[in-house]
Amino acid sequence: MHRAAGPLLAVTVALVLADSAVVTLALPDILRELDTSVGQVAWVLISFNLVLALGAVPAARLLARGRAAGGSAVGIALFAGASAWCAVAGSIDVLIAARCLQAVGGALAVVGCLELLVRSYGERRGVAVWATAGVVGTATGPFAGGLMTELISWQSIFVVQVPFALLAVPAALAVRAVVPVVVGAEQEPGPESGPAPRPAPDEVAPDRPDVRPNITLALLSAALTAALFLLVLLLVEGWSRSPGIAALTVSVVPIAAIAAGPLARLLQPSEQVEVAVGCFLIAGGLVGLAIPPSSDLAWTIAPQGLVGLGLGLTVDRLTARAVQLRRPRAEHAGWTIGARHVGVVVGLAVLTPVFTADLQDAQVPAQEAITALVLDAPLQPEDKVAVAQALGGALAGEQGQVPDLGPAFARVVVEPAERPALDRLERDLDDQLERAATRAFRDSFLAGAGFALLALLVVLVPRRRRTT
Amino acid sequence: MTGLVRVVALPVVSLVLVVGVLAVQLLNGGGTYEPLRPPDACAERPVTSRADGIDGLAERLVLLAVADAACTLGVSREALTLELAQRAEVSDSEVAALRDGLLAAVRQMTDDGSLPPASALVDEALDQAELNGVLEFAIRALPDSLIDSALTTDDVLIRTIEQLDVRSLLADLDSPAELDRQVEAAITEAVKDALLDRLRNLL
Repeated sequence: MHRAAGPLLAVTVALVLADSAVVTLALPDILRELDTSVGQVAWVLISFNLVLALGAVPAARLLARGRAAGGSAVGIALFAGASAWCAVAGSIDVLIAARCLQAVGGALAVVGCLELLVRSYGERRGVAVWATAGVVGTATGPFAGGLMTELISWQSIFVVQVPFALLAVPAALAVRAVVPVVVGAEQEPGPESGPAPRPAPDEVAPDRPDVRPNITLALLSAALTAALFLLVLLLVEGWSRSPGIAALTVSVVPIAAIAAGPLARLLQPSEQVEVAVGCFLIAGGLVGLAIPPSSDLAWTIAPQGLVGLGLGLTVDRLTARAVQLRRPRAEHAGWTIGARHVGVVVGLAVLTPVFTADLQDAQVPAQEAITALVLDAPLQPEDKVAVAQALGGALAGEQGQVPDLGPAFARVVVEPAERPALDRLERDLDDQLERAATRAFRDSFLAGAGFALLALLVVLVPRRRRTT
Repeated sequence: MTGLVRVVALPVVSLVLVVGVLAVQLLNGGGTYEPLRPPDACAERPVTSRADGIDGLAERLVLLAVADAACTLGVSREALTLELAQRAEVSDSEVAALRDGLLAAVRQMTDDGSLPPASALVDEALDQAELNGVLEFAIRALPDSLIDSALTTDDVLIRTIEQLDVRSLLADLDSPAELDRQVEAAITEAVKDALLDRLRNLL
């Protein structure tokens, strides 16, 4: 069990951090199935991130009293139980409550897993594995969630987490059984090193949180929220792609994030240069997502590649810097997790009203464009009237959302000779809606780029020299 | 790898990547992928119809009239169309602009010669009207030249527009049968008035 413990704990970290955005692609299904509002369904995302942000440091303090393994096991079990509860939630209120509980368990699990991974792999490798698992989880969350939603259901996203988490409970306990460690130790225990004399926790002066990497992480998380959350919404709601297609499309981000490692090893930049370049790439990718030349998915690939590269160059570097060789380690991990998820919440809080307002504003130009096309369509006058009446209902019923014109066109009965013109009109109107949705998301993507540029500023501001 | 290369290589690569991606997107129309902007309602635009006869004529008249009214009101043709379709109450200025627009449309079509002669519309009008069979036969038997000398299309249309209650017409946009009834009644009155005036002039 001890041999499998490290990978299982890393998977747990990835699962918990993937949960930050795993339901993004499932939100439209949840909205429909639980018969709720857009505002409420956003809390399925916000509640988890907010509780994780607020709970990470207290959880770390709880674990810092030598209860890392037990606390982690309890956290993982709580996370598993809450995931199962999410899967059977019959109302939006229950789902949000379950997500809060999931985040509480997740906070305990993530900071505890850091301690246990360090025990298993040693300080440097343990922190690296923990940070990388977090990046993989964050980057693959929307992809995995979208695929599960498309292939099975939104509930399956939560069901599939349960067995992984349950396997990690004995793994956490197994690490305690093998290597008893005092939290706050300076030495690096390896798997084979066995117990060694260490200073007691109260003998080690606690380090202050490293503010700069945490602020950078918060700003980058807000930017990455824009990249992942907004992109999947644009693909599913704006461009009417299925969650599965959207999931495959956003898989570019994790793939590019993986490619960032070899690139950094090849060019060997300093840590500051690597992080600054990562921020710049994320900003550039978000600007690219703001200005696609059409709704062809291919136009999102290269900008996503830039975002993924930026993600791979920044998040694990910053996380390691904020956590490594700082005591108490779990508490610093808590600050890092808190910063990242505060960033996600801030990103959602800032970007959601921006794009919902822009989506509302996009209705007028979209309706005018549709009206122009219907008025000038090469159809018989009575067919134009029929189309206008059908569209009127479709547009009126979708306030604040991109309407699906398919059912409206399906209701219009025309002579066979008119059918090609009607089909062309439907395609043209869909194109106008996609144009309007793309325009509506532009400012939000640019705001996300602004967060990444702010992060770049934080990285580039010279450090104050300490006087002795 | 030297220190300078370590500092410069990754920033240069990233700059090339970002500039390259954004340049390709902008060169392919990135940033202009937006909904169609409605043209200036005052600008001339070709107005055509797939329909023939009365339906085609009515469609062209309405499209020209809405564009003219929108120009008068300082909005786009599309904005005015949506306004009329979505709002229960229509303002006096909108009603006046539409009436003026319809009259201007008749003048424009008269000037450019696109108004068909009355004789070209008679058969279709008789098909739609519920007339006494003998009277319908008699009218169909009239030579086109006689019909065209007795009735001119522009005169009938202008009289019809003057007869129409535009506000009531707009209130019944969702009810084609009611619209037909109002328009038919206005045309019948217009034709009667035109024929009476013609007779008066002859006498």
